[in-house]
Amino acid sequence: MSGWQQHLIIAPIVIPLIAGALLLFFDERQRVVKAMISVVSTLALAAVAINLFRLANGGGGAGAFDGVYLLGNWPAPFGIVLVVDRLSALMLVLAAILAIPALVYALARWHAAGAHFHSLFQFLLMGLNGAFLTGDLFNLFVFFEVMLAASYGLLMHGSGPMRVKAGLQYIAVNLAAALCFLIGVSAIYGSAGTLNMADLALRIGEIEGERRMLLEAGAAILGVVFLIKAGMWPLNFWLPGAYSAAVAPVAGIFAIMSKVGIYVILRLSLLVFGQGESAGLGLNVLLYGGMATIAFGTIGVLASQALGRLASYSVLVSSGTLLAVLGLSNGEVTAGALFYMVSSTLTIGAFFMLIELVERGQDAGASVLAVTMEAYGDADEEEQEVEIGVTMPGTIAVLGTCFAACGILLSGLPPLSGFVAKFAMLTGMIGMGASADQPVPASVWWIVGLLILSGLAALISMTRAGIRTFWASMEGTVPRVLVMEMAPVMLLIALTLTLTIKAGPAMHYMEETVRNLQQPRTYIDAVINARRAGVAEASGPDGGGGI
Amino acid sequence: MILVLLVCLPFVGSLAAVVLLRTDSRVLAARMAGAVTFVALVLTAVLYPSVRDGGKVRLDLEWLPQLGLNVTLRMDGFAWLFAMLVTGIGFLVVLYARYYMSEEDPVPRFFSFLLAFMGSMLGIVLSGNIILLSVFWELTSIFSFLLISYWHNNAAARDGARMALTITGIGGFCLLAGLLVLGHIVGSYDLDVVLASGDLIKAHPLYLTALVLILIGALTKSAQVPFHFWLPNAMAAPTPVSAYLHSATMVKAGVFLLVRFWPALSGTYEWFMLVGIAGISTLILGAYFAMFQQDLKGLLAYSTISHLGLITTLLSLGSPLAAVAAIFHMMNHATFKASLFMAAGIIDHETGTRDMRRLSGLLKYLPITGTLAMVASAAMAGVPLLNGFISKEMFFAEAVETHADSVLDRILPYVATLAGAFSVAYSLRFIHMVFFGPPPTDLPKPKPHEPPHWMRFPIEFLVLACLVVGIIPSLSIGPFLHSAVISVLGDRTPEYSLAIWHGINTPLIMSLIALVGGAALYVVMKDYLAKCDNGPPLFRHLGGQRIFERVLVTVSWKWARWLESNLGTRHLQPQLRLVAAAGFLAGAVSLYLAGFSPKPLAFKDVDPIFAAVWAIGAFCALGAAYQAKYHRLAALVLLGGAGITTCITFVWLSAPDLAITQLVVEIVTTVLLLLGLRWLPKRSEKVDNSVSFSARSRRFRDFLLAISCGFGMFLFSYAIMTQPVPDAIASYFLDKAYSEGGGRNVVNVILVDFRGFDTMGEIAVLAIVALTVFALLRRFRPAPDSIEKPEQQRIQNAFDAERPERSAGDTVRDYLLVPSVIMQWMFPVIATFAVYLFLRGHDLPGGGFAAGITMAIAFLLQYLAGGVRWAEDRLRILPLRWMGFGLIMAAATGMGAWLLGYPFLTTHSQYIEVPFIGKVPAASALLFDLGVFSLVVGATVLILIALAHQSVRMHRVRGLDAPKAEEN
Repeated sequence: MSGWQQHLIIAPIVIPLIAGALLLFFDERQRVVKAMISVVSTLALAAVAINLFRLANGGGGAGAFDGVYLLGNWPAPFGIVLVVDRLSALMLVLAAILAIPALVYALARWHAAGAHFHSLFQFLLMGLNGAFLTGDLFNLFVFFEVMLAASYGLLMHGSGPMRVKAGLQYIAVNLAAALCFLIGVSAIYGSAGTLNMADLALRIGEIEGERRMLLEAGAAILGVVFLIKAGMWPLNFWLPGAYSAAVAPVAGIFAIMSKVGIYVILRLSLLVFGQGESAGLGLNVLLYGGMATIAFGTIGVLASQALGRLASYSVLVSSGTLLAVLGLSNGEVTAGALFYMVSSTLTIGAFFMLIELVERGQDAGASVLAVTMEAYGDADEEEQEVEIGVTMPGTIAVLGTCFAACGILLSGLPPLSGFVAKFAMLTGMIGMGASADQPVPASVWWIVGLLILSGLAALISMTRAGIRTFWASMEGTVPRVLVMEMAPVMLLIALTLTLTIKAGPAMHYMEETVRNLQQPRTYIDAVINARRAGVAEASGPDGGGGI
Repeated sequence: MILVLLVCLPFVGSLAAVVLLRTDSRVLAARMAGAVTFVALVLTAVLYPSVRDGGKVRLDLEWLPQLGLNVTLRMDGFAWLFAMLVTGIGFLVVLYARYYMSEEDPVPRFFSFLLAFMGSMLGIVLSGNIILLSVFWELTSIFSFLLISYWHNNAAARDGARMALTITGIGGFCLLAGLLVLGHIVGSYDLDVVLASGDLIKAHPLYLTALVLILIGALTKSAQVPFHFWLPNAMAAPTPVSAYLHSATMVKAGVFLLVRFWPALSGTYEWFMLVGIAGISTLILGAYFAMFQQDLKGLLAYSTISHLGLITTLLSLGSPLAAVAAIFHMMNHATFKASLFMAAGIIDHETGTRDMRRLSGLLKYLPITGTLAMVASAAMAGVPLLNGFISKEMFFAEAVETHADSVLDRILPYVATLAGAFSVAYSLRFIHMVFFGPPPTDLPKPKPHEPPHWMRFPIEFLVLACLVVGIIPSLSIGPFLHSAVISVLGDRTPEYSLAIWHGINTPLIMSLIALVGGAALYVVMKDYLAKCDNGPPLFRHLGGQRIFERVLVTVSWKWARWLESNLGTRHLQPQLRLVAAAGFLAGAVSLYLAGFSPKPLAFKDVDPIFAAVWAIGAFCALGAAYQAKYHRLAALVLLGGAGITTCITFVWLSAPDLAITQLVVEIVTTVLLLLGLRWLPKRSEKVDNSVSFSARSRRFRDFLLAISCGFGMFLFSYAIMTQPVPDAIASYFLDKAYSEGGGRNVVNVILVDFRGFDTMGEIAVLAIVALTVFALLRRFRPAPDSIEKPEQQRIQNAFDAERPERSAGDTVRDYLLVPSVIMQWMFPVIATFAVYLFLRGHDLPGGGFAAGITMAIAFLLQYLAGGVRWAEDRLRILPLRWMGFGLIMAAATGMGAWLLGYPFLTTHSQYIEVPFIGKVPAASALLFDLGVFSLVVGATVLILIALAHQSVRMHRVRGLDAPKAEEN
């Protein structure tokens, strides 16, 4: 526990906290100062996250960095620990990378639409990062609350009856979920006597009889919370309303919020419930619930007229895919799922921000007609066919290209990362029967089918929407779009392209991540044996060899 | 390396064309595209020596090696032949398009897409990894979509493009799945490995799955029945696109795939039946439909479908000789069909219409084009001395052979002859109706004339190729075809002859019957065809297109909407019900499955007073729930009662810290809620009170759920609490609180030291909530029905109004005068108490949180006592500063530990001697606690202000109605 690298672990929480607090000293009118603070903080966050990512990936030299931070210098099961391993580092980077475009986008106009946008934004980042870093169940609750409280504020940023209505629904559901969280955590503490995840993983093997049953019941209740957050059907009806009501940059950053639930499920299920008697607790719930979620999301994608809802349902498809695939509990498939998570988060973030730009030039009534016209297509057959193309204004061309890229990403078509992700998952799944010459399980075929159908639905829906938006209504005025708003979207899409090209190394990282997760021993040892600063090392083996 | 260049070059060209978008020069884009395609053609051509006689060029680049997905490019004889086709016809089409596209068209976009398409097509052809192949496969679908919809201001182009994308997209997804299964069977995605594992694949239980999926991919792409209907609709594309994508290359991708996997997949009964049925029905239906088309391009499109069916049929047979014929026919079809499309494009270009009912006698105006078209049609019809004839003869010869004994096999010769006759008929019709007969009368462009020579050049070249191949096949195409055949069939390459004359045999007789029969058929039907509506009788109104649209709308829209609204909800109540049910089930089911049996409740040593307190608490809680809907004030008061019970419980169980905190929190929340109550909408008196049965049962269900949750929670906690205490971390806290934490109040030490980080998070939550409330209420305007003054104030004002000596508002001002004065005086007392609580916190009950709330109560009382204006005139509180200071203080305390080399939030404690007071504990945690204090004050006051300012704002709103703003 020494060196500045070690203190870097807490930076993703402290930086936004201080930035958020500093911002409170400035009046809403001092927009430039506020924007500066926010940007600097977010950039610093990204730098820290990338550094931690490198360290977690073994970049800091073995032994120098064990990824464990003992808060208050209390030894592991007693104080709170923060842990950086490959998974949490990945999530940190993803959050930071999504935050920068969202913030830049917001600076163009949205940050002025209400009070305290920047503070809330920074607190949201703090909550996200805390949830990714913490190794303590109650602390996880705290950061969930930080994140959720900030998201309440951000969701209602910009005001208007629709946002307030969606926001209040969101708050009510999440408060109920928070209650479940508390019940679950207290049940676990009551029956296991610890809150530290690593310690819990150690103890769970020794707990027997009724205490174990109670512990598992507590864990199940806790699981419900994360499923609500991840948006599993039928606990996800709040999501389309909330996400589509949020202003564009907020919806963009919300793309990673639903992944927090997934992250926790992945973390706890492999760390605590990965081995021993409680192994595979609730995997079937994930599997079938995930499949139902994909189906529901797919239906929603098809049934959505407004682009915002289409995007929200894509969030559900993405969540459902991850849940179902995690439910299979297979290493290779999980690695593919991680890749998919990164890809789909970037995609959905870009898409939410794009939608607002696209819809700026449109009148609301046009979208209602489009689908019904398709049904009674005879109406336009009399139209004079002019076989001369129309030159598109530059803005439209750029928006259209980005829209097409989003469509390609959402439906998992090549050449962008959506395809690679889908391929990685599918190849892992179909390969599941390979090892022992056993047939591929039926549930796998169902998921394969659902994945393909969901891609198809996205394709149909996106072409429908794209044609309606860009081609059918050429009379519509060209939306006034700033470079500052276009660039973030393009950046995110460019990232997915990079992810495609660098698919090999990226996938390698995911595989290593999953390997770590499947060997919770390393994590546990690192936490339990983490050295306190300035205290002579007591007994016990050497303080963990990095995670 | 040339392979990479070959695949990348078109994409680079495509990007370059995008850059040219801004320039006006359409010639530049065309020249650039021409140069790119020509270079690609040359690059392909120079590779021939390495692929001759079974040679292969291969290049591996790592992409996703761990999953077996690599950029493997591989060229063999077959791929070479196809690549020549793609680049060669590509070049001709670019040349043609240069003249075809109108002056006003934004051609850079066109050439950009066209080049990108060419790159994708080359990618398919050269992929040595089956997943990479699927990547390029989807890319062709995407660029085909963009090219068909190039004139996207036409509804037909948009619809056609979307249909093509949907159909080929479905196919592409299935293909990917099929290839994944195939790769799973083989254990590798490398094409060479797959091709070498034919027997393994055919014996595998998943063979049929893979086959069906791959076939869906191939058949959709090659527009085979029942997926054929997208192709005629794709004719809304500009003609060069139709010539290139929809006759020569993209639609060939499907049959290309069948040939590519022919060694690995073919030869089984399933293959024969599936491919055969699709091929034969496409062959005959396509030819039949083609006869009845009135649109030139429609005729050619259906003819293309039919010819693709012919190739598919050949491939279904599973005999090597048939495969040779299939490969040969692919090339032949591409040459004559591309030239015909271009000819049709010229006719359209010159006359302004493609409707055969309006065209006639054009040979006079377009003599050269007409002659060229006639030769090409003759090739299409299979007239001797042209390339179409040779491959068709080979087809007939194979059709006669028995391959897999079945009805399909037996009817094949007849079907083949019939389809041949149809194709003669429609070829004849094409020529006769367009070029012969009386001069045209109502052309949109009255004076058609020959196009520029370079526009005609591609047709001339292709027709020449038809002739050369048709006359001296073994000298022209022979060696190239042979290389291709060897690369596909390997050592199964059969003896075949490309001679024109095989003597009088069955195929020749079949050809003759087809020729004569087709001519006769046309003569008989000529008059009907000249006038009939578009499309064949009976099928005219049963278009695949309409069915497709209807199905798509029904499934993807009507059903989806129905399902969405029935599987989901936008209301809050059902969602909360689901959350509660899920939480309950999660706990109950997992306990039930584990076989948990609850212990009997044991009521012993019950303290009657404690029990009574709890009975009151339970009553309050239930009452609050019962009254919550209509009597908010009562519910709130009862809620307070339940809260007090909790406080008493904490005291009772020796947790004074919690009790204090609970008490102050209870006070503040109740007061804040009471302040907010004023702005909630009134109870609607008009609600229908007659409750229906369904509503009753719904309520009963919710009631049951609530009872289950509550009772379940009770049993659950009881079970946990009656377990033996686990070896919890709590004992550690008790041990170390004083020795290492420096405080005797363990709860406070936990809050600010052991788990100070949690506290830091929680104060952040408080800050965020306050900000959110503030931001929300800042925009809040009261609902119209709560703008009115409260009843009490109205009565008081009425009282004033009645008495002349009182002015309005006097009573209101005097209301509760004495209590408010006392409240004002209380301020210093409470503030001192807060400081006291704060300072003693580390050793005795108290602490920053409790102190902060107490301080906030002091402010709260001032607002209550004097009103907003009064309080703010006298007290200048900047809650945001307090909050910011608090957070920074807490964080800075934590960071202070860094200076000493300790982790965040490590504390240090000692006692310092303060004059007059004595020893004061001065743990660094005290500073942290100061932060907590400051934040809690700030956040609570911010919420208070947000609520309190509503009353000020209300006047502003009302001020619009009544000019005289009243003072409250």
